[in-house]
Amino acid sequence: MLRNAAIIGCGQTKHSGRRRDVNQAELVSEAVHNALEDAQVSLKEVNALVVGNMQGFGGVANPDLWIGDWIGAPGKPVLRIATGGTTGGSVGQGGFYSVMSGLYDIVVATAWEKHSDSKEAGATTGLLHVALANFFHAFGYGLSMKNLLATSAVGAAAGVAAYQARFYMHRSGCRSEHFDMVAAKARRNAARNKYAHLQWPNCTPEDIHKTELIVDPFRYGHVCPASDGASAIVIACEDIALKKCKRPAWVKGLASYSDEETQMQSESGGGVGVLDPSEQMGARLSAMKAYQQAGIKDPKQEIDVAEIYQPFPSQELLFSEKLGLFDEGKAWIAMEKGETEINGRMPCDPSGGVNATNAIGSSALQRILEAGLQVMGKAEDHQVPKKVRNAVAHGWGGVTNYITVTVLGETPAPRR
Amino acid sequence: MQRRVAIVGYAQSEYQFNVPRTREDQVFDVVKAALRHAGILREEVDSVVTASSDFLDGRTISNVFLSMAVGAYQKDESKVEEDGTGALLYGLMRILAGTHDVVTIEAHTLASTINPHQILFYSLDPLFDRQVGLMNDIAAAAIQARMYMKKYSVPEEAVAMVSVKNLANAALNPLTHRKMPDLTVEEVLNSKLYYEPIRELMIPPITDGVCALILASEEKAREITDRPVWIEGVGTYQDSYLRDRDLTRFESLGKAAAKAYEMAGIKDPYREINVFEVSEKFAHEELMIYEALGLAREGHGQSLIEKGLTNREGEIPVNPSGGALSADPICATGLTRVIEAARQIRGDAGGCQIPYVERALAHGQFGICAQKNTVFILGGDQ
Amino acid sequence: MAYLKDQRRETMMVEGSWNIGAYRYKGSTQLQEYVDGLKEKKLIGSLCPGCGKVIVQPRNICGRCHRRMDKRMVVSHKGTITCFVISPPIEKGKYKIIGMDPVEAGVIQEGAILVPVFVRFDGADSNINTILLNCPPEKVHIGMRVKAVFVENPEGKLSDLEGVEPLKE
Repeated sequence: MLRNAAIIGCGQTKHSGRRRDVNQAELVSEAVHNALEDAQVSLKEVNALVVGNMQGFGGVANPDLWIGDWIGAPGKPVLRIATGGTTGGSVGQGGFYSVMSGLYDIVVATAWEKHSDSKEAGATTGLLHVALANFFHAFGYGLSMKNLLATSAVGAAAGVAAYQARFYMHRSGCRSEHFDMVAAKARRNAARNKYAHLQWPNCTPEDIHKTELIVDPFRYGHVCPASDGASAIVIACEDIALKKCKRPAWVKGLASYSDEETQMQSESGGGVGVLDPSEQMGARLSAMKAYQQAGIKDPKQEIDVAEIYQPFPSQELLFSEKLGLFDEGKAWIAMEKGETEINGRMPCDPSGGVNATNAIGSSALQRILEAGLQVMGKAEDHQVPKKVRNAVAHGWGGVTNYITVTVLGETPAPRR
Repeated sequence: MQRRVAIVGYAQSEYQFNVPRTREDQVFDVVKAALRHAGILREEVDSVVTASSDFLDGRTISNVFLSMAVGAYQKDESKVEEDGTGALLYGLMRILAGTHDVVTIEAHTLASTINPHQILFYSLDPLFDRQVGLMNDIAAAAIQARMYMKKYSVPEEAVAMVSVKNLANAALNPLTHRKMPDLTVEEVLNSKLYYEPIRELMIPPITDGVCALILASEEKAREITDRPVWIEGVGTYQDSYLRDRDLTRFESLGKAAAKAYEMAGIKDPYREINVFEVSEKFAHEELMIYEALGLAREGHGQSLIEKGLTNREGEIPVNPSGGALSADPICATGLTRVIEAARQIRGDAGGCQIPYVERALAHGQFGICAQKNTVFILGGDQ
Repeated sequence: MAYLKDQRRETMMVEGSWNIGAYRYKGSTQLQEYVDGLKEKKLIGSLCPGCGKVIVQPRNICGRCHRRMDKRMVVSHKGTITCFVISPPIEKGKYKIIGMDPVEAGVIQEGAILVPVFVRFDGADSNINTILLNCPPEKVHIGMRVKAVFVENPEGKLSDLEGVEPLKE
């Protein structure tokens, strides 16, 4: 990296199932306002904005053209980035590259989602559209309703994640009780995060186990909600970060490697060569690249907290392994021992993660934001009670083939 | 800029209406051709940045099934959701940051998938304009045209002359699909009326198209080619929403051009830039673009076209490739302009070639009435 | 500062829509080759001349080699289950896909348990997503050997491949 960048301020909105008091524009401006206030930066000082969401959910094409006026965009460069589930992570990284490139000194990156604007339950409009074109194509070739309903209606509630969880269980020996534990932890942690959606202060694995089965191994209690919310971060170059912020969160490494479409079909109904959707080579490569840039050789020792993108609890376990935080197949054992609790050795998702709060466009940016808060010591009730030298934030999206990994730290990466 | 970055290879598809091939096929062919043009393998690319729009492609996450075709398998990939010049800017930023050295930029829209004017309608403010339902991008352009023409007494004929120039230039470009070498001003003014004063031949056609180019840092560029096209300056800005700004000028384009000129060290664009490739989504926009780029004083864009100064043989040729009026693959349009400008500098522009091009300007826009604009200044080895 | 709304009341709601049915997608011909194979009770995949992977159902581009997978290969009817999920007993009104309820449509019996599986047919380097037939859900396990089940008179449609059933070797 030729130029260092750091997060100097973070802002979020309260996430809930229906934010009936704001429209999309007002929601985003709330997050941007909070971020600017946290960073002690005025709109005039901002050089550029990077924005993104999944436009299918809100039903507005390129909403930044409309809501730009609410967030100070007129007269500034605006870049719109949208990559599905990793949108937030890509937006955050877009912001980092903007500052690291030397073209801008202070950049605001913001991502949001307003699911409740969508009329369908579970806000499926946006998601269904990914596969819709393939469905239409397949109908022309006599796709049988029985096969479609069997593989989709049941599997689609959880999608490929259910299969991914099964692969992980088979490989590692993990059982669905461990998913109960992860989901309970997420809701307990979320209760300490004033912006999170599903807050359940004393949630136990038994509480999760009592909920109804969607499709084995997932229960309704395991699955993330669909939230309305926005998040924003203010990113600055080294000189300004040192002047404005006592403890900035330095960007030490970032990568977003893509993989082959993992176990959904390719375009026009073709198959894919990835046999195991829990293998996630893209996550491994992204983590390797990000750690290398950050100068981290042993993530198990050097990473102090992880914010993992886990709409399904199985993903917290398997991605924490891909990120090098636990040995292959051992994450569930460590979790059983309590190592991933807020006060544990390797806290995972102290904010509750995506399992408790999922505004799809913004979730991956929220992971970067929460990791930043941990490094800056500003996470309030869910701050981990140990020194945070390095934090890793992760996002996945697409048809589980997109990944973003960002490493933040209390000092800039060593120059090589 | 903290590093020098060059374009080292590029490729375009044939721009047609309703190409009977899938997105995957078209994108693959063009990216493969761009890599071949640069003479490098997919393994040498560090990152891929693409531009496409979910609404226009009809798929959420429009790049998700295209990662393999675009050569992004196990590579650092991202996507912008606006004009291709945004993807070029993002790719440029990745190289400037020092983290990547070679980046593939790709942009596409198959506009025959759904009426793109319908999609631009969805980009209107959903609370008022969309509810009232009378506005769409052509209507908004008509309002802008009327305001501009009345304010500066611009005759309809001047607007029509833009179409005549560009569609005649297109006849020399084998890749475009709307070529009309013998078009006259009368024919333009008699073409089908959409919203006064916008007529059919002042609106771009519906086009399917893909284009891609390869960017490289200075060290890599020198290894890959002996004719790199350097990016000397870039500027991008966004205006206020449609109803909240002065529609008679492109303020964001003016600022973007000024920023790009400053970076490239250009004081007098009229004399220092040899060819201009701009994205004119409506014929009257080109006149306003002349003014925003500083080639004419406010309201005097008409004199440039009337005196033939922006023709192929003129002092400042604009859109020798035919511009957006000859082929408009929406998200790809701006990137096409960059590629055409690069071809001019390399001497590769075939029938459209303007002699002695050392510096070129390329412009891309997105949003109703050109709400956001990006300008690139390109230059060859001096 | 950015605009901040100071009165927290319920905001006005207006309706809008976007017609996702208006899209005209381009499909490719590779699925046609696949269903032509189904008509003859054959499972056809595409072979990449670069890496040698065989992908069923056929796909156009090999991203690893960045080249076309133009060759075709027939894979075996026998395969292995690599993954499965088990549904709870299907109730009416529980699931809707594109507005249709499977029990109401008569496609699935009320109370039936479905087992969608991933099957890797011998010779293929990809999984097919289909359903397991003629097998009690308790017996399904990863690594179970299965064989393809075709309809009596295949017509050259995707529904010709009904599913897979346990293979007795």
